Order: sequence, then C-alpha cells, then structure tokens
Amino acid sequence: MRGPGIAGHFVDNHLPRGVDLNIIGGIDMRKVAVVGGGLSHWGIRKANWRELVQEAGKAVLDDTQNLDKKDIDSLFVGAASPDRWAFQCHVAPLVADMLGVYPNRMMARTELACASGQAAVRYAWLAIASGFSEVALCLGVEKMNNPNMLESQTTMAAVLDREWDGIHGASAPPFFAMCAQHHMKHYGTTRRQMSLVAEKNHRFSTTNPFAHFQKPVPAEKVEASPMVAPPLTLFDCSGITDGAAAVILVSEERAKKMTDTPVWIKGSGQCSGGNNSANWKSLDTWYPMQVAAREAFRTSGITVDDIDLAEVHDCFTISEIIEYEDLGLCKKGEGGKFIEDGQSDIGGKVAVNTRGGLLGCGHPLGATGIGQIIEIYQQMQAKVPKARQVPDPQIGLTHNLSGAANVHSILVFGRDA
Amino acid sequence: MADKETKTGGKAEANAAKGMPGWMADLPLVQLPLALDFCSPQTEDFTRVSRFFDELRKGNLMTTKCKACGALNWPPRVVCPECQSDALEWVELPKTGKLWAFTEVRLGAPLGMEKDAPFSIGIVELDDVGLRLLARIDTPYNKLGFDLPMELVVARMPGERVIYRFKAKG
Repeated sequence: MRGPGIAGHFVDNHLPRGVDLNIIGGIDMRKVAVVGGGLSHWGIRKANWRELVQEAGKAVLDDTQNLDKKDIDSLFVGAASPDRWAFQCHVAPLVADMLGVYPNRMMARTELACASGQAAVRYAWLAIASGFSEVALCLGVEKMNNPNMLESQTTMAAVLDREWDGIHGASAPPFFAMCAQHHMKHYGTTRRQMSLVAEKNHRFSTTNPFAHFQKPVPAEKVEASPMVAPPLTLFDCSGITDGAAAVILVSEERAKKMTDTPVWIKGSGQCSGGNNSANWKSLDTWYPMQVAAREAFRTSGITVDDIDLAEVHDCFTISEIIEYEDLGLCKKGEGGKFIEDGQSDIGGKVAVNTRGGLLGCGHPLGATGIGQIIEIYQQMQAKVPKARQVPDPQIGLTHNLSGAANVHSILVFGRDA
Repeated sequence: MADKETKTGGKAEANAAKGMPGWMADLPLVQLPLALDFCSPQTEDFTRVSRFFDELRKGNLMTTKCKACGALNWPPRVVCPECQSDALEWVELPKTGKLWAFTEVRLGAPLGMEKDAPFSIGIVELDDVGLRLLARIDTPYNKLGFDLPMELVVARMPGERVIYRFKAKG
C-alpha cells in the first residue's frame, strides 16, 4: 500500500514538480510526426506471431511514401507477453530480421501490458525529439489465441500482481466488473448505457475490414450474452485477438521531405497508481487517468474542448464510460448519459473509438495502442471509409490503460505541430 | 477414472479428506512449473517474507510496518517503499472487515482455478487500518452484499502452501 491510506489525495500528490514538462516547444526538443501506418487483419488468425509481424511490417512500409528502408535507425516492438504466448523473448532483433531493417540507434521491446504499443511510440517519439534518432519503426503485436485457451487466460491474469491478487483468481473481467458495480451504485449508471457503448463500437467496427468483429451487436444482444463476471457479459468484454500494427515516426525535417500531410505528436501524459489492488483508491474514479489527461493537455497546449476524436481504451464497456469522465469530456458520474445522448458518436461532442475500439477490433495487447494511432492518422488524412469519417479533424487523442487501470497513457496528435 | 488416478498419483481422495477444494484433487502433487503456478514458494529458502505464510498457517494475518516512517505496507515488504528504510516490523492485521466490492468469476478463470468457477471475488475493507484486500470470497455470490461483515479464512494450497481468503461472518 502506498500513500496515506484509502483517502489519499492522489491527484494532489502528482502536481508538477517544478519542472517544465512542456516538451513540445521546449528547448532543443524536435517535433515528431507519424508518416505511415499499417495493420495486419485482426481476429482469431490462422497465422503465427512471426507472420503477424510480417503482415503489419509490409503494410506500414507499403503505406509510407518516400521512405528508404535503410533510413530506419530505431525499432521499438510493443509486445506484452511474447515470452508466454509465442515462447519467444528478445523479439526486437527477430522483428528486424523479418522486416529487413537494421536499426543502429535504439531498439528494444516495450512492455506495459495493454499499453505496450503506445509505450513503443512514446519511446520512439522521445528518441527522435531528442535528436538521437531520425526514423523509427514502431510495431505492436500479440498472438493470443493458442490451442489451450486456459493457458492464454493464465498469461493475462499475470498482468495483475500475480502473487497477491492473481492468486485469488482475479484478472481483468472481475476487476472491471467491480468498477461497473461501483459506478452503477454511486452514479446510477444503467445496464443499457453500458450496452450502448458496445453497440456503438461494433457499429463502427463493421466499417473496418481489419477488425476482429464484423457484425453489428445491438444492445439487446449484449444483455442476452453469457455472464462473464456480473454485471459484465461477454459483449461487455473486448475479444482475445491476434493482430499486429505498425507506424513510422520521423523528425520534422524528414517529415517535410516525405509528405504534405504528416500527423504530429503534440504531447503526452502518463501516470501510474501502482499495481497491487491495495492501491486502488477508487474503482469508479481513475485518478491516474485524471493526472495523465491534465499533463497530456498541458504539454500539447490544448484543452479537452479542442479534441475532435478520441481512441480510448474500451477494454470493457464500463471502461469507456469512466474514461469519458476522467478525461474530462463530461462531469463525473455523467458518462452513462454521455453515451446515451450520442455525445461520443460522430456528430456529438467528440467521436470516440471510430475504428471500432477494443470491443469491435479485439484487443491484441501489444498492437492495440498502435492500431488506435493508425485510426487518428488515417482520419486526419481522410483515408477511412465515409461511414466513420469525422469531418476535418484537427486534434485527436489516444488513451490506453494497462492492467487493472493501474497506469494511464495518453498521446495527443494534431494536423498542425 | 483410471486416467485421473494416474494424474493425481492416487491422492485425490487423500486431498479431499484434508478438506482441499475440488480442483486441487485433480492437480498432480508434483508442483506445476514455477511459471504456471499462481502460488509462489513460501518458505524461507525462497522469500524473505516467509513469516507471513508461517503466521497465516497459524491463523494470523500479518504484514510489515515501517519503524522509520510508520507506513503500513501491503503486501509485506523487505524495504519500505515510502522511505527506503529496511527497519520493518511485523504487525498483525484485523481478521475482520466489510465487503467493499464483489463479483463472481464465471468464465475465464486461470489455470488451476478453472474447475472452481463460478467463485466469488471481492475487496474487503479491513476494520480500523485503512487497508483493503482483494481476495477470493468463500461465500456464494448470491449471498453477498455491500458492507457485509467478513472474516478471514486460511485456505490450503498444494505443496503445504496457504493463502488468505474471506467469507461472510458467522
């Protein structure tokens, strides 16, 4: 247990510590752009870990204009647990083999459970912003379906503090079930409001040929599906999915030579509340997310009202509802009403999870964060199908939580640097 | 049945007689590989907080408290995460509390627990110490409610190991 017990003032304890974190626009830090993105198909794939890597690698290299592959000097591989799902560690050099790249600045696998993909992009961003790297490839991948799904579920349960929480049979569904229980108790959030999140995101995923789930899921179907951990049913949960995604990040100087339509990283925030369950100050207010959001907006020079589209971590329906609130899109406790009123749909206050989210696309842990960034990138280039195109988006955001909402990671993107 | 006998080394009945839950009887008494076993080794050869498990075997729930800064640690530590002092003392935690949140694992239980499902999980706010513990709840889900008084249960795990759980009081 950290801090002064249950009533600890988490947000106050994370005030900026006198250091100007305004990285973008700060001294000697370079602007960084996304100039390419590509995905494998996501789903229960008849393909192994390596083949997913090659599919996404080809997709990103085909997509990126005016790139000499030899210029890729850094490689970050977002992967939560290839050690267990593919019985393979030391994966970054293996990915380099398969994609024919020869990084000579920075390379590593980045692991932050469900946020492993965003972690790769955060490292690449800072490597380029610092001047150490010019061109970085970030590839996220997870192969989660294997012949023994019990083994797969066991790997996921090890994301929690395994010796003290996992040992009780805790994993993601029971944790988020208790979050939903508290949100319903404290704010009157309804079963139907949670179902509407799944309905919206599955409607969007029907427009996304790369998504795991291709059929509409009406609210009634969510409610009629088998109970996983009450009050959460099967369709309240994101899928166990195989998939990969990749982006290319470059410096400003390089971006201007490559494309007229780069998408810029404007800023970021990240905050941890520890891992063990004793650190959970609240189940239905995610204080680390409030801190991460505040820092993301501050370093980007924006306010929450500037956001046109957001890819938030809807690992469960209740997650998206809590995230509306702790991001500041609506008041605390009004997340259920926010979805009910269509405020998170295209035409509402902010379009949320237009690619279909984790609920519609599935959640290959390492690939998710990069898949979300590709949606922002493609939306800003007007490359997505019309059915989910947000009109002329200027500012977009991606959010990942990891573990039992222990860590929140946010990146802000813009058409203008 | 013959297969089961072989797998468990013929110890299924013996396990049941010791009051172990059903799924344990189906586990071989040879330990799972470390990387597939949720329950880590608990003896002094493997961990410096083995006293936690020794005391739990006697029915006591203990943790460490920092003598330097007074922080109550959970789980028990060998260095205080708040002030880095390694002058820690063992203190007893209350064996009772109130149920703060709860659910039931019906699908997706991990290896070794799949045959237990459905089972209850909850978070118990211990009396008087400002500490909440997540744990298995050995009371059926339909009997649970907010603020239900709870008491400690010491559950046996394979290989002479133990873990804390809670159940509805009385």
